[in-house]
Amino acid sequence: MIKKARTPYTEEESLEVLNGYVREWFVENFKGLTPPQRYSFKLISEGKNVIIAAPTGSGKTMSAFLSIISRLFQKSIDGTLEDKIYCIYVSPLRALNNDIYRNLMRPLDEIYESIRREKGLEIMQGSVHKVTIGVRTGDTTPRERAKMLVKPPNILVTTPESLAILINSEKFSENMKSLEFLIIDELHELASNKRGVHLSLSVERLGEMIGHDFVRVGLGATLYPLEEAARFLAGYSGGRERDCIIVDASWSKKLDLIAVSPSADMIYTDEKVVEELMYAELNRIISSSRTTLVFTNTRSGTERVVFNLKNRFKYGDEIVAHHGSLSRGIRFDVEEMLKKGEVKCAVSSTSLELGVDIGMIDNVVQIGSPKSVTRALQRIGRAGHSYKATAKGEVIVLNRDDLVECAIMLYAALNRHLDSFNTPRNALDVLAQHVVGMSLTGRWKVDEALEVVRRAHPFHTLKEEEFLSVLNYLAGSYVELESKKVYGKIWYDEKEGVFGKRGKMAKVIYMLNLGTIPDSVSVDVFTGDKKRIGSIEEEFLGNLKQGDIFALGGKLYSFDHASELRCYVSEAKTRTPTIPPWFSEQLPLSYELAVAIGNFRERLSDALSGYNKKHGISRMAMEMEIPDEASAILDMLPIDAKAKEAIFRYFEEQLLFAGTVPNDKLMLIEQTKDTTGTNYLIFHALYGRRVNDAMSRMAAIAMSDLLKIDVGVLVNDNGFVLTTEKEAQMDEKIVKGVMERITSENIFPVLKANIRRTELMRRKFRHVAARSFMVLKNYKGWRATVRRQQINAQLLLKAAEEIDPDFPVIRETYREIFEDMMDLPKARDTLRMLKGKVIRYKFIKTPSPSPFSHMMITFGHADVVLMKDRQERLQYLHRLVMSRIGKEMERRVARHDA
Amino acid sequence: MMLDEDVELLEGLPIAHIKSINSIVVADMHLGYEGAMAGEGAFLPKVNLKEICREVKEGIARSGAERVIVDGDIKSEFSKVSVDELNELHGFASFLEKEGVMPVLVKGNHDNFVDRYRGAFRMEIYGGHAEIGEYLFLHGDKEPASIKRRTRMVVMGHEHPAITISTALGRREKVKCFLYGRYRGKGLLVLPAIGYFSTGMDVGAAGHGMLSPILRRGGIGSMHAIACAYGSTIDFGKVSDLRGKI
Repeated sequence: MIKKARTPYTEEESLEVLNGYVREWFVENFKGLTPPQRYSFKLISEGKNVIIAAPTGSGKTMSAFLSIISRLFQKSIDGTLEDKIYCIYVSPLRALNNDIYRNLMRPLDEIYESIRREKGLEIMQGSVHKVTIGVRTGDTTPRERAKMLVKPPNILVTTPESLAILINSEKFSENMKSLEFLIIDELHELASNKRGVHLSLSVERLGEMIGHDFVRVGLGATLYPLEEAARFLAGYSGGRERDCIIVDASWSKKLDLIAVSPSADMIYTDEKVVEELMYAELNRIISSSRTTLVFTNTRSGTERVVFNLKNRFKYGDEIVAHHGSLSRGIRFDVEEMLKKGEVKCAVSSTSLELGVDIGMIDNVVQIGSPKSVTRALQRIGRAGHSYKATAKGEVIVLNRDDLVECAIMLYAALNRHLDSFNTPRNALDVLAQHVVGMSLTGRWKVDEALEVVRRAHPFHTLKEEEFLSVLNYLAGSYVELESKKVYGKIWYDEKEGVFGKRGKMAKVIYMLNLGTIPDSVSVDVFTGDKKRIGSIEEEFLGNLKQGDIFALGGKLYSFDHASELRCYVSEAKTRTPTIPPWFSEQLPLSYELAVAIGNFRERLSDALSGYNKKHGISRMAMEMEIPDEASAILDMLPIDAKAKEAIFRYFEEQLLFAGTVPNDKLMLIEQTKDTTGTNYLIFHALYGRRVNDAMSRMAAIAMSDLLKIDVGVLVNDNGFVLTTEKEAQMDEKIVKGVMERITSENIFPVLKANIRRTELMRRKFRHVAARSFMVLKNYKGWRATVRRQQINAQLLLKAAEEIDPDFPVIRETYREIFEDMMDLPKARDTLRMLKGKVIRYKFIKTPSPSPFSHMMITFGHADVVLMKDRQERLQYLHRLVMSRIGKEMERRVARHDA
Repeated sequence: MMLDEDVELLEGLPIAHIKSINSIVVADMHLGYEGAMAGEGAFLPKVNLKEICREVKEGIARSGAERVIVDGDIKSEFSKVSVDELNELHGFASFLEKEGVMPVLVKGNHDNFVDRYRGAFRMEIYGGHAEIGEYLFLHGDKEPASIKRRTRMVVMGHEHPAITISTALGRREKVKCFLYGRYRGKGLLVLPAIGYFSTGMDVGAAGHGMLSPILRRGGIGSMHAIACAYGSTIDFGKVSDLRGKI
């Protein structure tokens, strides 16, 4: 059963469970027990599975480790401590692993020292041993590994990937038979993605391999719902949930949060001025605190902020950057500087979000919305090192949508409304990797193997038929008999229901290719004179069209054309990029937060409309003061005076321009065009990007079916945009037709049939194919040769479909798109509400985009929904090309005449 | 679509039909491709041979041809004949035999060592080029030393031509195409690759370098790109008009 711990144990009760030496050391070194420790010392010593949610500085590491260390020293004193592994600690970050190692070395040394002082004789006789700790990651040298094999540490610190390798190492697995404790750190980072799903299977396989259970301890910062996280940690045994106790100390730190707007007018202030004001504000915070930690949402953003701070305010090396693209050496140096307090300001994308020890931070500044309440809290929680301190966080917003979003986000944070995480379920690609891993350790009966797999929470509902399809795929059932030797990665006897190892290559494939982080294909960028200037991700290239301007290595380039693996550009003369390079990295806005924004929009616009009814609409525009009705609502938000003014002006502008402020119960559908003549149909939809992603495609498909044309889709956090070639194609009648056609009933088949031919499907399929060991990253010394990279994912997909439309690799691709990337159940609910008129829609036509649409047509994830009628496709393309050439011809003739 | 009174491009197929010699022509099959890729760790489903057979079968049925001319690169590897290639060559030969048509291979740069299977597959094999009727078939990796006066058209492969068309929102779609123009006073027809995994080289891209010395000589600007996809074959006009616009 999953239970919440309600009452903490007293200090005495907690300390009583510790071995005398360990207790003495703790009392000498700490002033008292932190909130999580009041639960965890006793619970862990009693062998309970425990999940601990607590902010930075709440003694989390000790809360997990102290009872374990105590038990190991007790063994040592009893003379039963052997050179075996008793505890495994897993974290997603190597840097964190090194921290843990260093932080535990001191207590282990000091406690041993105090025992030695008293029991010198026994130690000399060799019966009392030191408790040892060792790190094993991808960085561990072969020599260290060999040493570890002979003399394994009592506490092994490792990563999910290294653990997956260790459980398939015959020699090393012997050393893990004595395992009693498993600690998983940064659970919030793992429980929501395939990396964590992969780990969950490693853990269950480990338990099966050593033949007994172990105590599981999970550590995390803010995450919600904790019950789900507990299930993820504990898994199942004999078909039943393993017990787990939740220690929720998430809110033990006080919060001081505020959203700050660089300007009181975010509509008419020039972009450059906003930027200037933003840096001035940032500098004000930095110069008034000792150490400030700044989060940006992307790596390139981090670079930009550091550059600007140094440039504008003449800082030197006391301003540092820390992100994943920097070398390990640089990051390590930055962490050391932070610990020593030598840094005035550290700027990071995500890399400092996790628990790496960075010393005292006075202040956290977030630039731009972090897109989720939970993430905002994780980041801001880095401020104020002790749990008694207040975490001080400021969010500087970048634009007006950002402003509203951050204000509501911080309001939700203060009211403890977190957005929920989502664990990928029954991911067949991750399963495929582990089945290969399992086959290497011996013969398995299919039902026994399935039982082990289902112990992991992310696979608890796996169907037998799904499991068998993976076995068949891995056995090479999709090629003729002669090729199975090459294609097959496991041996599988379908009749007998057993599987096992096939050939020598399988182990090499497993060891060299396991893991879940996709390799991205990079494309070299050249200028016209064949000078190579760098590389971009293929994904990014996919979104470029001729003339688009983007930044690379600090310069702006205009995209000309691309061949297979090369992209040609010319230097751009303008100063602003048309494509923000960072959008693809942006996290989606959550459903909960989007709806909260919708609620707020409704309340504020109701107040403004009420005011207008009373005083007439012109009064609001004339008046400089914010009406009291609106002011009262705005005052509830944690925002500064400029932000208050800016939000009000933004809403006022929208009301004056369009007469309507869209909210979560009122979808505004706006037909408009911009100065370049591009036609847009803008859906203001506040349901989060995962729902918008699904709904936008449903709408585009309906429109494409009605008009028999391709429809462009731009998905955004606050809605979505459809584009077509001709303006007339998007009138009110068509919109009505579209709204009638999108229903909740057929959402799955309609989307599936269409998504098949999108860029999105291609990209995801390639990642899933790599994870499923269908296209290996690393094989017989080949590392993604040019020929290999050129395999067209669309063709590969088509080929797989021809073999079997329900091929596990294809099935997983759809699952990932519909369940992890989109949120189909919520999209279905939303469509149902539209049908039931719980959500209404309103069509308007505007001469230019309304204020609330400006951001939507600027930033978004682009894709195209292709017309269904394939017979006419080539004619369609032909017409398209001819119309372009036609225009060119006309121009040529005109020039000639002139 | 009829190119002239004797040559037809079979609608929607990467196949040309030449009436006077009662033959259909295809190029660049690259049999054994999946096997070669599997050797590099990409375990592609095997569909190339199956799809080629399907298209050739349709081509035979529609044209009533008695002969299938493979204009080079029937297989994939340069340096040897792999087991996969051998199996698929055998599969293709038996398929043609069952269809009752005669196979002719004009060797391409990938077709080393196929001669040794000439007998086993009952395949007529030409080294550099083949003159059949008024047509000169060659793969296209080398220029022909001379062209007979009576030759009316040169038919080649090797280039894998395709055009890439941008549609809405910067999405690009590549379709295979024929190229049709003039060369040394004769007609010149470049076939698209029939191979399933050969998507082709974008001839509409500015700055695209040609593989074949034949095409490098005169350039392809004045040639017509005739796309074949989705069951249709449509002339998109001169390559020089398409460049930079599509």
